[in-house]
Amino acid sequence: MPEHNEYWGIPLDWGSPNILVYSVMFLAGAILIFRFYLRARLWWKIGRPEPRWNKLHLRFYNLIKYSIVQTRILRQKYPGIMHVALAWSFFIFFLGTALATINTHFYHFLTGLVFSLYKLTLDVFTVVFIVGALLAIYRRYITKPDRLTYQPQFTWSLILLIIIVLGGITTESLRLAVEQPANAAWSPAGYLIARAFLSTGASAAALTNWHLGIWLVHLLTVAFTIVTLPVGSLLHILTGPLNIFFSELDRPIGQLPPTPTDREGHPVYVSKLNELTWKQILNGDACTECGRCQDVCPAFGAGLPLNPKDLILGIREIFEDAKLSSNGNSFDKSLLENQKLNKEALWSCTTCAACLTECPVLVEHIDTIVELRRHLVIEGMIDPELQDALTNLGRYGNSFGQSPRKRAKWTQEIDPPVKDATREPVEYLWFVGDYASYNPALAEMTAKTAAVFNHAGLDFGVMHKGENHAGNDVRRVGEEGLFEMLVEKNLSALQRCQYQSIITTDPHTYNTLLNEYPFSEPQTILHYSELLAQLIKDGKLRFTNPLNYKVTYHDPCYLGRYNGIYDAPRYVIKATGCELVEMPRNRDLALCCGAGGGRIWMEEGKIQERPSESRIREAMELDGIQHFIVSCPKDITMYQDAVKTTGHESDLTVKDLIELVEEALEDSTY
Amino acid sequence: MTEIVVIARLVPDLVEELEIATSGTALDLAWLRLIINEFDNHAIEQAIILKERSGATVTIISPEAEGVEDMLFTTAAKGADKLIKLTGVGEEKPTNLSMAQTLAEIIKEINPDLVLTGVQAHDDFTGDLAPQLADLLDMPYVGYISGISLGDGKATAYKEYPGGILAEMEIALPAVLGIQSSEEPPRYVAISKVRQMMNTASIEDRDAGVLETDSGVVIDRMYLPEVADRAEMLEGDEEEVASKLIAILQDLGLL
Repeated sequence: MPEHNEYWGIPLDWGSPNILVYSVMFLAGAILIFRFYLRARLWWKIGRPEPRWNKLHLRFYNLIKYSIVQTRILRQKYPGIMHVALAWSFFIFFLGTALATINTHFYHFLTGLVFSLYKLTLDVFTVVFIVGALLAIYRRYITKPDRLTYQPQFTWSLILLIIIVLGGITTESLRLAVEQPANAAWSPAGYLIARAFLSTGASAAALTNWHLGIWLVHLLTVAFTIVTLPVGSLLHILTGPLNIFFSELDRPIGQLPPTPTDREGHPVYVSKLNELTWKQILNGDACTECGRCQDVCPAFGAGLPLNPKDLILGIREIFEDAKLSSNGNSFDKSLLENQKLNKEALWSCTTCAACLTECPVLVEHIDTIVELRRHLVIEGMIDPELQDALTNLGRYGNSFGQSPRKRAKWTQEIDPPVKDATREPVEYLWFVGDYASYNPALAEMTAKTAAVFNHAGLDFGVMHKGENHAGNDVRRVGEEGLFEMLVEKNLSALQRCQYQSIITTDPHTYNTLLNEYPFSEPQTILHYSELLAQLIKDGKLRFTNPLNYKVTYHDPCYLGRYNGIYDAPRYVIKATGCELVEMPRNRDLALCCGAGGGRIWMEEGKIQERPSESRIREAMELDGIQHFIVSCPKDITMYQDAVKTTGHESDLTVKDLIELVEEALEDSTY
Repeated sequence: MTEIVVIARLVPDLVEELEIATSGTALDLAWLRLIINEFDNHAIEQAIILKERSGATVTIISPEAEGVEDMLFTTAAKGADKLIKLTGVGEEKPTNLSMAQTLAEIIKEINPDLVLTGVQAHDDFTGDLAPQLADLLDMPYVGYISGISLGDGKATAYKEYPGGILAEMEIALPAVLGIQSSEEPPRYVAISKVRQMMNTASIEDRDAGVLETDSGVVIDRMYLPEVADRAEMLEGDEEEVASKLIAILQDLGLL
């Protein structure tokens, strides 16, 4: 009966090979732990404290999901298969080695069929590894995508891994060639190579000697890889899972943390390395440099001076600089003067969360960006356009610099009159938002929304001058004090009103009301797409004029990625009789329009291709699309501009969801 | 230490629709919101710039009005050291001479090197607050200044003239300067800083005393600009419009 044969071919006059193997591995392991400890302890030493030890069950769940099963990595086919082929095979090799050790010292079970299956598994995963390695070589040296980092340590890691695995399969096949056991066929790949060795006509003694040499190389390569792990690109094997384990669980991504305070209760406006939390420093060390964030970043794609990957690696670079000169006083290094991490990069972010959605190790880019922006705002380091917008928001409660009394001016033309929710009870309180209220180009859209609400028999009202900008993007710009002021004003206005639900037309408003407003009582907050879908399902909106348009739909960041509302707007579009054709970047892959995170208020900067233009070109690639449907007032302005600047004004019209609904109702009682 | 005093006034905010009171000779104050006079805002910025550049104590004096405390705390957040509110200023606007007399008494106590204020305010008829003040304090005055550098016992002030001419003039201190614009645009101050000042900074109240409101100027009628029908629109395509335009210019003897 075949069984596991410990240290086959290792001369017994070496004494017990156990001692050799275990001392080498123990030493390598100890060096690894010590070196890693030297690095890791600095996260806690330099960084501010931040509790991330709660909800352990969820943390372990995430660890399995993202580190072992690697669901995030598998979002992309080629790099996903490549990485899991490498990673999963190493999990199996690691497990195989552990089982062999247990078999040798504790419980002898690798015999018979179990042993044959064990051999088969290891053999299959060797092939899986080779496929992964070939994919990696092809990608790194032939296709060379821009997003990767091309530095020698990545090549070294790949070479080491390949040597380890080839060493493993070669020793295995040499053993099979000499021993020719009955279950050799259970190691098909190994046996194939064994046949090749046999065909050379080499003697059993020669093959056994080769086996010994390669076995030693294999052992020492493993030891070398372990020892050098903390300084190479394989460090992510340790830091990645740690970052995943300690990822944020207490807040949805749509909720930013308040300005942190120090022990005396003074606010901390982060601008130096030692003002980051240990977790934010760990983000830098955990980055695998895969560049998925870079690929999806609208700012990077537009040629703006932000690369989310570089920004995070900037933290690592500053951390390493501080570590090198670690006389204890160098931890207050500036976070704003690095080539990768600087003011321009910080202001380019649209907070679209595409990076967060792609990052395989759950790096939290946006929290850090906003915290650094808070420092810039406190120091008054903002561009004049943003300054005007913030000044207006502080004084008038809107970024347009218009009188608060004119907020509901658009209602003057509406019949029946729109109720004033601050004066009479309503079922639905419509939080209209700045753009829909003040932008003259959107007045028609806002009126149509009111008309559809009336058609559906909704009892709704608006807060007139009681409504202020909700503050979502004020907060993301880093003006936390102004955000708090706007929240207070809106909450005090809302408290004066009687309503059952809040409807929002603007996804940004929706996000902050839903995730950030400290309401004293639970609220029902709806985006109008959700409300429309519900009204259609309840039969309160019946379409008598099916549209038969071929349309595509753009997911707003703060509706889709931030709050997971993908289906309601699609349901409404289909209900109006339109054929919906998806753009390649749809749902959580949707490209940001470029307006979020306060970007709409800032100077545009040197831009190559606006994200909104890239998006329109993406839509134009689809066959015969007539309308580009949006569900965010800012999108209307962004994309109407983009349609003009890309020269597609006559081919494609930008329409709000509400326009489709209104049109599909046209021939009925409306 | 250099002492700088800045006079800052609140004026009607033109973002709001202005309404004329039933008297027909004044604005309806009930609907008015006040905002810092833009020129005074530049004067404050210039004072803070001077403080940052070479050290100074900056005192802001403002006649009381709705929202003046918020405005004063905002200047403190920018870097002003002392805040003074003139109380007992009625709704009716005092004359600049009378206001200058009141201010001069307070300013004399401070004994400043430099008094700055906006060169004009859009609710001001005569624009002579700063010159009146200079006269009462027996200091030199220059208006329409857009930059200052301080020297020993003197200041160099920059003044722009039409046609892109920049004058650089030396003024013996102490002096009163009317500011047209600061060297840098007024800075943004984060709301949390202003709120912090509301808790930590204090405003000194000073009684304005008796203020004269009768300037001798009688307002007959105050009214919003009326739409006049004086423009002639040239219609037609480019060729037609061009030839009509040429005909008009020829009629006027310009061609």
